[in-house]
Amino acid sequence: MRRITRAATVLALGLVILVPLFPLYWMVISALKGPEELQKAPPTWFPSHVTFSAFGEVFQAVPFGSAFVSSVLIAGVSTLSVLVTSVMAGFVFAKYRFRGRDLLFWSVVATMFLPPVVTLVPLYWLVSTMGLADSYLGVMLPWLANAFGIFLMRQFIADVPEELIEAARLDGASEARIVWQIVTPLLRPALVSLAIFAFVFYWNNFLWPLSILQSDDKFPVVLALSRLLSYSTSVQYQNVVMAGALIASVPTIVVFLLAQRVFVQSISRTGVKG
Amino acid sequence: MTVQASRSARRGAAIAFLSPAMAVIVLFVAVPIALTFWISLHDWSMYTPLSQMTWRGLGNYTDLLHSDDFLNALGNTLVYVVLVLVTTVPLALALGMLLYFPKAAGKAVARAALFSTYVIPTVAIAIVWGALYAPDYGPISQALGAVGIDSPAWLSDPQTALLSLVIFHVWQMTGYYTILVIAGLTQIPDDVYEAARIDGAGFWRQTFSVTLPLLRRTTTFIVLIAAINAIQVFDPVYILTQGGPAESTTVLSYAIQRAAFQNGMAGQASAMAFSLLLVLVAVAGVVLAAMRRRTAAEGRS
Repeated sequence: MRRITRAATVLALGLVILVPLFPLYWMVISALKGPEELQKAPPTWFPSHVTFSAFGEVFQAVPFGSAFVSSVLIAGVSTLSVLVTSVMAGFVFAKYRFRGRDLLFWSVVATMFLPPVVTLVPLYWLVSTMGLADSYLGVMLPWLANAFGIFLMRQFIADVPEELIEAARLDGASEARIVWQIVTPLLRPALVSLAIFAFVFYWNNFLWPLSILQSDDKFPVVLALSRLLSYSTSVQYQNVVMAGALIASVPTIVVFLLAQRVFVQSISRTGVKG
Repeated sequence: MTVQASRSARRGAAIAFLSPAMAVIVLFVAVPIALTFWISLHDWSMYTPLSQMTWRGLGNYTDLLHSDDFLNALGNTLVYVVLVLVTTVPLALALGMLLYFPKAAGKAVARAALFSTYVIPTVAIAIVWGALYAPDYGPISQALGAVGIDSPAWLSDPQTALLSLVIFHVWQMTGYYTILVIAGLTQIPDDVYEAARIDGAGFWRQTFSVTLPLLRRTTTFIVLIAAINAIQVFDPVYILTQGGPAESTTVLSYAIQRAAFQNGMAGQASAMAFSLLLVLVAVAGVVLAAMRRRTAAEGRS
């Protein structure tokens, strides 16, 4: 009986590893196959001829290089901004007392649950009225601060001992100095996880850039990828599309693997998607 | 520094620290919510100036009630959300227990593998699923054929297209909810299980009398988050089906984006968006009230 349970557990764990990873495996082998092999039905489960030519073709089919730069810029700037604004606002919500604080805080938190599509039309109107349609700033501006970051930082800053802050005040430290030189260094794991969350979120974000950008040369990677897909739906180009998908996924996978532990821990702390 | 001076310094600091974040949230979240409602009362194409809006009152809303397209999108969304909830939530609970309780090698790898599906861009991995589902060239139909099952046409059949998107969603999101379950499990003290064992409770008894009741808050939260994530599904629909075949995968978020950005009907799109918001608020209200009542009842007992 015990042996059967044991075997079932091992089998289940095996499935839990295989099922999530199989599509990734398929992405990689399809990117490495040549056009003839892709047109074989039934498909081969391992490439008989490995070729890397698809990875070069991606960059000829769509401006994937500049898309990569766009994504780094958009995700990078947005992430930095979210870190700074969240620490400041989180500090106020965690450590200052004022009337209406909790109401304000929970109203902000409630916006975390708002599906972006609800406000898509007015957001488009606002940003284009500001003259920012089809610009990097237009893509980034509505996302330069978010409720998730504020919530996460408030949770962690609440754990910073009050005495530490009082002592600094008695020493004559300004409030800005307290935030940046005393509180922030204590938040390192939380900041790392927020940075990863934000980076992954902005890197993957599709609906808003799709709605606000028109020119190919400003497209982030996910938009370039969807454009690539529409150019090459025929199965013989599948290696090119898959190579594009792989390249688009690499940064988020790398970031995830580097900081997997902190990432998973911080979800436990909050439980919400950015 | 006097107490007075430090207090006013703190007030200044509070305003300075809060204003960047609040400016973004007010301008790009709060104001747009109000604007969505305002626009929903008008006829308007987004690509013309606001001055060319014409007042319709609640006309867009009454139109929606008679619009087959909207009712179809609403129905598809409902089916999608329900199917996602009844699969992901039990699956995440089971996987969470599998990855928390037994002492087995490979648990860390399994957690990482499960969670990796969540960080990959949806657009990229949806493309891969398109290939997995392909009728002749795809591995799924081949694998099913190998065990003697006639594979459905998945994304190209109106009967199965929405289900195919549900399967993709479950594959993508279950890992994330599983991590939440594991986090909830770590909150349950060991001595509760000890006591249950002394009382002679076996594994199933422990699961149904200890684990699941004590996980209720986590489970409620997951239901809420999973529902909200499922309601806003857009990327895989855009990439894989464009709402087809025969409108069978047109869900609300896709219908809203299409009405506004492709058909130039911003007023109607906003009416759909605002209705979606109302539904969400109602659902969240019911879930939270149920949770609060349970907590209150527990507090009394």
